[in-house]
Amino acid sequence: MVRPAESGAATDAGPHTTGDRLRRIQTLTDTELARLGVDEMLAEVLERVRDLLEVDTVAVLLLDPSATFLVATATRGLEEETSQGVRIPIGRGFAGRIAAERRPVIIDEVDHSNVLNPILREKGIRSLLGVPLLVAGDVIGVLHVGVLVPRAFTPEDAELLQLAADRIALATQARMTQAERTAAAALQRSLLPGQLPTVPGLELAARYVPGDGGEVGGDWYDVFDLPSGRLCVVVGDVVGRGLQASVAMGRLRSAVRAYALLTEDPAELLRKLDVQVQHFERDVMATVLCAVVEVDQSVAWVASAGHPPPVRSLAGESGELMDVEPDPPIGLTPVRRRRARAVDLPVGSCLVLYTDGLVERRSESLDVGLARLTEAVRPGPAEQLCARIMGRLIGSRTSADDVALLVVARPGDDGTAPLRLAEPAEPRSLRSVRQSLRAYLGSVGATPEEISDLVLAVGEACANVVEHAYGPGGGVLEVHLEMHGRRVRATVRDTGAWREARGVNRGRGTTLMHGLVDEVHVDRDATGTRVVLEKSLGRNS
Amino acid sequence: MTDVSVDAHEAEPGHWEIAVGGEVDLENAAAVEQRLQDVITNRARSVVLDLGGLTYLDSAGLRSLFTLANRLELLQVGLEIVLPADSPVRKAVLLVGLGEIVPIRER
Repeated sequence: MVRPAESGAATDAGPHTTGDRLRRIQTLTDTELARLGVDEMLAEVLERVRDLLEVDTVAVLLLDPSATFLVATATRGLEEETSQGVRIPIGRGFAGRIAAERRPVIIDEVDHSNVLNPILREKGIRSLLGVPLLVAGDVIGVLHVGVLVPRAFTPEDAELLQLAADRIALATQARMTQAERTAAAALQRSLLPGQLPTVPGLELAARYVPGDGGEVGGDWYDVFDLPSGRLCVVVGDVVGRGLQASVAMGRLRSAVRAYALLTEDPAELLRKLDVQVQHFERDVMATVLCAVVEVDQSVAWVASAGHPPPVRSLAGESGELMDVEPDPPIGLTPVRRRRARAVDLPVGSCLVLYTDGLVERRSESLDVGLARLTEAVRPGPAEQLCARIMGRLIGSRTSADDVALLVVARPGDDGTAPLRLAEPAEPRSLRSVRQSLRAYLGSVGATPEEISDLVLAVGEACANVVEHAYGPGGGVLEVHLEMHGRRVRATVRDTGAWREARGVNRGRGTTLMHGLVDEVHVDRDATGTRVVLEKSLGRNS
Repeated sequence: MTDVSVDAHEAEPGHWEIAVGGEVDLENAAAVEQRLQDVITNRARSVVLDLGGLTYLDSAGLRSLFTLANRLELLQVGLEIVLPADSPVRKAVLLVGLGEIVPIRER
């Protein structure tokens, strides 16, 4: 027989008085419980409920994120429920009914008609009492108790259990919210590269700040090199907040990286991403700005999916909004064609990518924020510019939304810091060394022919290291380029015991080096071999 | 793997035109050499090797071209190399003297 708790019979004082029991309810909020995590807190509270109501089993089932199932989360005397991950559809069975009707339910005699969960029947539970876990009127789960000897639960039992349930609900909710925040923050941290890649010829700097109350959202930035040697730079903003937005952000970020291996056209990349999101992630919407910087770093191709435009500043000038017209956001509507626009990046310029949290304030129009940003942007070292922008636009206020900021700067001629590469001495390193050399030499103004000559000469020295310097254990290939005025000095170093080249064609590498650069020196000693190549720029016919 | 493309087609019976594009270095030179040998069958009477699409060619790649040239000479298969005046690999090809054993034309 099933009856609503309200229609119950007379009070059963039993061995405990009502006052006694109420007082013992207080034990459920002991400060010692406050320090426990969700699982430990539930385990402790369930033990006390079992003791208090003199029942054999206690179970907490929580609503899963889809809000269609209750999942057994903590139990006493019904361990099978949690170990088997029992899922109860809302509206069905005993617990499902409590969640659907949001009120206590008492079952005096358990049978097939009123309890669906076979574990409850097999366990020999004869009577059940259950109440909803409510937070601000929303059901977050169900708490129920059972006995192995038939018992008529009273309305007073139901009231007591509801009191316990209310405390459990609040504590669970608070802890889960906190756990979710912690998880989202950890996820965000793991996905946003604190250390950006080192790109010869460019300076990169980034910031991420959570929104109000430290809550992370779905903003991200990403920088990675492409197989061709181009550089892909991404800033995006998944609509929503908290763990769900962070998780969606993680998936989008991975998808962008995957599609970047299929196409290096940012418009096509965003189109593919959009198709993917619309197929697999119906609930996700995001704005994304994707820029692909050419190998010679003189130009970036930029495509926007509903994202605010980048700001660029040229040497000696303040920032200007780039006319990158946004196509629709990702996940909104099918878009047949997306557009990419070229943004020139001459030496001394910088490009600023950001999310709307940087420029939006509740009380003012977006234009005011954008104007504030363009005023703040000046060419300069990327780290300094990042700090300057954050200082001017965020200052000491907390943004309502989270903020991501990424600065790509192409330093001027005076910024010809040396290039230092250390790669495993393996054939596959040769290509990435060449890419770095080309980018560096492009950034110091070498002509295409000078770049070809130097890249091949240095490439030969590197190939020698790869082929001859080390035994099967391998070693390190070091390449160092520096400018002495307009003269390039390249040093290729290994720490192996050099074997003399074998075979008849080996002399060609040396021939090439001598034919391509002005000077070639080879120093060999016990610590390894050093090849120094020098070539003056601007003298080629 | 360093990116390279080898596209061969028989322009006329026995006359092969092979275009090599991308980069050839220590990592892929042996594979490129093998591809070229696979493409050039016993029936071939002449081969035109178009290197206009190459952006990098190091001594390992040049070694493969010398090996190919020697082998084709042995088989009495004609070989010509096409190398545009503005090719970034032209200088290297000429420096190592490949032009002394294989005719090189600009187009």
